[in-house]
Amino acid sequence: MRLRRTAAAVAGLGLAMSLAACGDAGSDGGDSVDVEVDENAAESFDEGTRMRELADQGTIKIGVKFDQPGIGYKGATDDDPSGFDPQIGTILAASLGIDEENIEWVETISANRESFLESGEVDLVIASYSITDARREVVGQAGPYYVTGQQLLVPSDSDIADVSDVAGEEVCSVTGSTSLDNAQAEGAVPRGFDTYSECVDQVVDGTVAAMTTDGAILLGYAAEQPDALKVVGEPFSEERYGVGYSIDSPEMCGWINETLTESFDDGKWAEAFDNTLGVSLDETPEPPALDECA
Amino acid sequence: MEAITTDFDLYLKGFGLTVGLFVASGIASLVFGALLAAARVGPISVLAKASAAYVTLFRNTPLLMIFIFIAIAMPRIGFTFNFVEEIRVGDWNISGFFFRACLALTLYTSAFVCEAFRSGINAVPIGQAEAARALGLTFGQNMTNIVMPQALRAVVPPLTSVQIALAKNTSVAAAFGIAEATATMRLLGNRYGDQTVEIFFFIAVGYIIIVEIVALGSYALERRWKAAAR
Amino acid sequence: MTALEKEPTTPAQGEPLVVLSDVQKWYGDLHVLKDINLTVHRGEVVVVIGPSGSGKSTLCRTINRLETIGEGSIQLDGKPLPEEGKALANLRAEVGMVFQSFNLFAHKTILENVTLGPIKVRGVKKADADAKAQELLDRVGVGHQAAKYPAQLSGGQQQRVAIARALAMEPKVMLFDEPTSALDPEMISEVLDVMVTLAKGGMTMVVVTHEMGFARTAADRVVFMADGQIVEENTPEEFFTNPQSPRAQDFLGKILKH
Repeated sequence: MRLRRTAAAVAGLGLAMSLAACGDAGSDGGDSVDVEVDENAAESFDEGTRMRELADQGTIKIGVKFDQPGIGYKGATDDDPSGFDPQIGTILAASLGIDEENIEWVETISANRESFLESGEVDLVIASYSITDARREVVGQAGPYYVTGQQLLVPSDSDIADVSDVAGEEVCSVTGSTSLDNAQAEGAVPRGFDTYSECVDQVVDGTVAAMTTDGAILLGYAAEQPDALKVVGEPFSEERYGVGYSIDSPEMCGWINETLTESFDDGKWAEAFDNTLGVSLDETPEPPALDECA
Repeated sequence: MEAITTDFDLYLKGFGLTVGLFVASGIASLVFGALLAAARVGPISVLAKASAAYVTLFRNTPLLMIFIFIAIAMPRIGFTFNFVEEIRVGDWNISGFFFRACLALTLYTSAFVCEAFRSGINAVPIGQAEAARALGLTFGQNMTNIVMPQALRAVVPPLTSVQIALAKNTSVAAAFGIAEATATMRLLGNRYGDQTVEIFFFIAVGYIIIVEIVALGSYALERRWKAAAR
Repeated sequence: MTALEKEPTTPAQGEPLVVLSDVQKWYGDLHVLKDINLTVHRGEVVVVIGPSGSGKSTLCRTINRLETIGEGSIQLDGKPLPEEGKALANLRAEVGMVFQSFNLFAHKTILENVTLGPIKVRGVKKADADAKAQELLDRVGVGHQAAKYPAQLSGGQQQRVAIARALAMEPKVMLFDEPTSALDPEMISEVLDVMVTLAKGGMTMVVVTHEMGFARTAADRVVFMADGQIVEENTPEEFFTNPQSPRAQDFLGKILKH
């Protein structure tokens, strides 16, 4: 068994550039998780499992977001997406003996994640994919590998300090998203837009009182315009990001959980986090507790 | 089914906003489009040219671009139109988002309404307007008493098409802060990922009902006028 | 039809009502009205005849400015024609016009066709306008059709309604632009009869027509046009029995042959 060290190319480049304003991130894009690719991994999986098939074919298709700085982002001139989700994908692929050059990154948007898994368009979805009971009816979701919560992005001179202040106010997010749904449940008037960046513009221009979505995403935008924007409030929802896989291959759950646990223990998960979402944070959070596989 | 039955109030609210956008922009575009058409065929050359330029500009610009301009670019340079929120009728007041969406839809649709009216006006024999002028009617009296009432009959079928297109175009507002039917479809689709086909079906049915009401109204109008003309 | 039914009158009897001075008009390069000088006096009936394309309809339409002119001036009752706007509308209200193709308002009833002008332009009360309109319709013989729409009437009936519509404005002068040219032959006389009655009643009229019988019966003066010019003008008797210009002789020779 020969081990080869490789630096994952999924550098946090986009985020690094966008966060350069706060003087924290590295600017060379070199901060990426180091993974060990097990070239003889196939032998460690039983015949007939999906993991064995993937390891044998030596390639894997992973669906990630391309438009969420820090989580899954691919700028117009980038070769590969950057962010926490692609790094988790790189770790999972490495355990199958697949190095980053053989990962095909597929853009998935919120609306097509289930259908891409069902049709086999992708093998895994790692795309800020919150675990819900309804989704577990149609796809498999292992994890969570990260737990975040919904917060508020407001103009720096705003009086809104917490979610209790948004009742009756106009709050924007992406049309049809869970975040917008939650804000509506808190009494806010929902204002849906197609993209997060349009939504940020609305906050800056004063047409809405606040923007809401997962805190991690908001931190990224606040860092871009620290004089104009701030993130406020305790998280008022719990979003548990999971790894989606086809419901026809339930054996993948155990493998995903095992690999995630390994990365929690050997520091790879913390390294990936620090390189991406954690850039603007002082300390690394504890890895979340994983759900049992059915 | 569960997605629609459980959240039927959301479904109704969504279509309520869709109908609201449609009716407000529909009326505004009919009025503005008729004025544009009057300017276009009127005796004042500078107004005729301005109207022609307007139609060229707005008919050839994608609706999405007009929305981006009104809802994103205008607020950026300070025009949020939020003053409309000060207009209160009892408890109810219009939101800046609703106003901006109506504005974008009206600006776009008016260009098509103008062209429909213009073709209708051209269908009225020139002698009708001449006879009215010879009687001493002013241009405005001529338009409102003689030309427009006759043009209206020729114009109902093309105007119906324009208004049906408007009813469906309101869906663009989904991406600009209005929780209308299409936005509701996306919300329900997100809540009930396993029922996307049913949700799509029920939203489509809602649009079909709106469009059919418009079409049936137009047929009824045509029949009544046909009866009156004989 | 040799005997004149009307005594020839001196043309310049009343004061000048319509005065065209040195009027020129072009359609692009085409010179359609050349050096037109014509005065129509109060109470006078002027019939304009001439071959097709001679400019006689255009001349008629310039008098209420349905056609603009290139040069020269037109005065009505001592005042020049306004260029546009409310003043022009007011002038047109003073000038009745009857078209070749009737041009009744297709979406209005016969009665509404006649009352529209008085109500909208003169501000007459609807009840008064209705009564006056009914009286005029009775006079032209279509009173019992008042509730119908134009398309339900024959051409002759429609043209008589059009005359009533113009009369309802109590105009100073009536313009007739080939009023019988679009009619079936059997309907021509019912319209001409109305026009003769009108002429006898003292209405000032400018009539563009091919009806030589009407010209002989009702005209005080005949104006002969060719190629955009007034070639000859005279009393009907003189004109028809002793035309001066070769163009008029040629024209009369062609139409009176049969």
